[in-house]
Amino acid sequence: MVKSIAKKEFVSTLRDSRFVALSVIVLLLLLAATIVGLHSYKTLQAERDTAQETVNDQFVSAADRHPHRMAHYGSYAFRPKSSISFLDFGMDSYTGASVYMEAHRQNSANFSQAQQSSSLIRFGEMTVAFVLQMLIPLLIIFLCFGAFTQEKETGTLKILLSQGISLRQMAWAKIAGYSKVVALVVAPALALASLLLFGRGGFELGGDVVIRLLLFMLFYLVYFFIFIVLSVVVSALHQRSSTALVTLLGIWILFCVITPKAAANLGANLYTTPTKAQMEADVHEEVAKGIDGHNSQDERAEALKQELLEKYNVETLEELPVNFDGILMALGEEQSSHVFQEHFDELTGTFEKQNSISEYVGLLNPYLAVRHLSMGMAGSDFSHFIHFQKMAEQYRYNQSQKLNHIQATQLKYGDKETRLSSETWKDFTPFTYETPPAGWALGNHLLSLGAMLLWLVLVSTVGIRLIDKTKVA
Amino acid sequence: MKIFRILIKYEWLNFRADKGLLILTALTLFAGLYGIYYGTTEIERQRENIAALDVLTEHNVEEMKVKFLGDADAGDIGYYHSTFAVNHPDSWASLSLGQRDVNPYYLKLRLLNLQSQLYDTENINPLKVLSGNFDLAFVLVYLFPLLIIGLCFNILSAEKEQGTLPLLLSQPISLPLVVGAKLTFRMMLVLGLALLLSVVAMVWGQVVPDVRIGIWLGVVLLYCLFWFGVAFLVAALQKNSAFNAVTLLGVWLLLTIIIPALLNVYVAVKQPVPQALELTIKQREVVHAGWDKPKRETMNKFFAHYPQWTDTTEIQGRFAWRWYYAFQHLGDVAVEDLARDYQESLQARHQLVAQLNVLSVPVNVQGIFNAMAGSDLPSHLAFLQSASRYHDSLREYYYPFLFNQVAFTHADYDGEPRHSFTSSPDFATAYSGLVKLVVSVLLVYAVALLLFRVKEASVK
Repeated sequence: MVKSIAKKEFVSTLRDSRFVALSVIVLLLLLAATIVGLHSYKTLQAERDTAQETVNDQFVSAADRHPHRMAHYGSYAFRPKSSISFLDFGMDSYTGASVYMEAHRQNSANFSQAQQSSSLIRFGEMTVAFVLQMLIPLLIIFLCFGAFTQEKETGTLKILLSQGISLRQMAWAKIAGYSKVVALVVAPALALASLLLFGRGGFELGGDVVIRLLLFMLFYLVYFFIFIVLSVVVSALHQRSSTALVTLLGIWILFCVITPKAAANLGANLYTTPTKAQMEADVHEEVAKGIDGHNSQDERAEALKQELLEKYNVETLEELPVNFDGILMALGEEQSSHVFQEHFDELTGTFEKQNSISEYVGLLNPYLAVRHLSMGMAGSDFSHFIHFQKMAEQYRYNQSQKLNHIQATQLKYGDKETRLSSETWKDFTPFTYETPPAGWALGNHLLSLGAMLLWLVLVSTVGIRLIDKTKVA
Repeated sequence: MKIFRILIKYEWLNFRADKGLLILTALTLFAGLYGIYYGTTEIERQRENIAALDVLTEHNVEEMKVKFLGDADAGDIGYYHSTFAVNHPDSWASLSLGQRDVNPYYLKLRLLNLQSQLYDTENINPLKVLSGNFDLAFVLVYLFPLLIIGLCFNILSAEKEQGTLPLLLSQPISLPLVVGAKLTFRMMLVLGLALLLSVVAMVWGQVVPDVRIGIWLGVVLLYCLFWFGVAFLVAALQKNSAFNAVTLLGVWLLLTIIIPALLNVYVAVKQPVPQALELTIKQREVVHAGWDKPKRETMNKFFAHYPQWTDTTEIQGRFAWRWYYAFQHLGDVAVEDLARDYQESLQARHQLVAQLNVLSVPVNVQGIFNAMAGSDLPSHLAFLQSASRYHDSLREYYYPFLFNQVAFTHADYDGEPRHSFTSSPDFATAYSGLVKLVVSVLLVYAVALLLFRVKEASVK
């Protein structure tokens, strides 16, 4: 009986030309989004690869220079796109692509896609994730809103019940039927996406990418399932199809249009962040005066000088076996980076607090939960961006310190003239960026994962129980 | 006329009794008020932040005066001292924040190479800018159509489904009158709400009262009428409520999300902006190569741009500030074409969107709102140009000190130029958008009326 209900839902849906038409539209959009995503991925990645290669070449083939000149010359980090970010651009369009890494200064990530667009981009982007997050649920609503109401309106519900089947069994049967229909719409697109991902060159194919892609798909399947059950439950609670439909559309608008924006805006209103100018001024002040105004920059330099003079038992800086310039510069870099890092961590902490509002709202809204998980798996979320910035800062710091070390050991005190051979720069390894593993990405979204599971459990238990308790007039 | 009034009165009674509709209307009102609150606090915060920059500049000057107690070399000041170029919001910006959150509204500038400073970004939370602004423009552009759809999707079909339509039509009332009365009631409600929110936002945001009040209210009115027209058109198909709801939501989805997203793709492909990374790389290369070039060569190149300093003394020794700032400036000159290309490509992108927005009324209306509020891309580009000119004037202020080798005294800080730029509204875009909007509205009603006629004829 259960099987035949599931089969009936499946077959009758496929016979419904309107549904088939809608499915075809969604499928086409999904395919279009895949192609568009891939194209955009390739263009941006090629741009950044070329830029990265150029600056790497420029560094190793730079002219003979004073090491501190080279530290100011610096390098660039161009953020590579994560392999499966073509499925979900996430925040990538709003985060900078290039970081200039030079001595003494931590620069911002510049040239985001959003800055290079008019306000049109704020209407949203055509990505696979957009279709999966917003359009498939609408399709599901359209598919399921009449699940029970239609049976009620045509009077077939009573007949069915008289066959000895319970409402609960009927609900599960219908859910099974609808799930099959949704799978039929989604599967080709996901298969194509995987094929494009693995069937062509240019992507680093690691186990990690596979795990990310599988989890990406799994989360969406759970999300669709939640929407199917939710729609069937809402249908069972209504007497008429039209009111069930309107309720479901209202839920969709609330989930997908209103709360995501409201939650993000509320977060930004609750926790304010300092402007970059203010932050830089604070960092500068703390570095110059020392934390709490103790141990200022000049005092620190003086202390270091005395310490070295005593250590090597000499009278003047010129007599030191090491170059004091380089050592002082290294100390300065160490301290300013340390202070900057503290402020940067505080800033990201505030951003995380702002974002946590959206994550908690995920408990009430599965759309938000899946959005966070999806961006996380695609490598286009907040954590991945911050990870990149930190890696760039680490590289910048190490490069500066390596050059300071060269200055301290190979040049004499007060020497601003000597240029080291360009061979020296060939020792420097260029900036490379590795996307962190899938486990790390998932770990950043445990709350969203919990929210998703909670929804799954709630709709399958409380939701179905609600169906069982409805009265059949 | 009397019948019309009776119909309206009963619509009101119906509306009052319908909890769902009341909740929907109250929600929209609440969302509108929140949008106004959010927009004004956001702009207020930007104003405060901009005001705080003056304090930072003052602090910086104080620090300089301590660091260089007596007369200083202007070269040192130019290197360590920083000022800000600021983009003040227009008073209308709180109604439509546009791209003001994505693009920085101030730039920290030193006397160094401009192109390495012009594209620095502000501390922004990417999730927040991705989610977008919940300002009044969002409520009007996205949520009001949903309210209209919620109120109108079953305008005729409900009467049919409840079996009251034949009863109603058995009276000496025509179908157009019934539909007209129903639409009129809903229009009064929605337009009342939209205009009320707009006025509240204008008062709350303390906007400069000018012609924009008229344009804004006109656009809001026309935009609502457009969506009523769409609802009217779908009602003319005379299908059931479920069909209407899905169709209307489909149209909404198409116009507010799918078409804009596809347009965005088209614009990105049609008008690529590949200059940015090349620009930043080249600028660094040229500036740093300046250290390795013969000083005479660098200075001659510089004097070609600033002949008035040609006769200044020859540079001796390893380092001179005027030589340093000369090659900094030559770095800007070297990427001048790229920088112009970059900004022109961005402008062209915006222009392309302005042409294509006939395909989506919401995109057009959002464009009009942003143009009026001076919060879109062209306004930011104008700010960048203003900041560039400011950098020019800064350099020109310092050059006499550098080239005539005059000491920079404490009093000279006061003579340094300061920057202020206020986004100005783009009336050309607003007016052309308005014309397109009027055409869209007329078109939708013409089609709807035609369809009604055809359907009526086929029923008869």
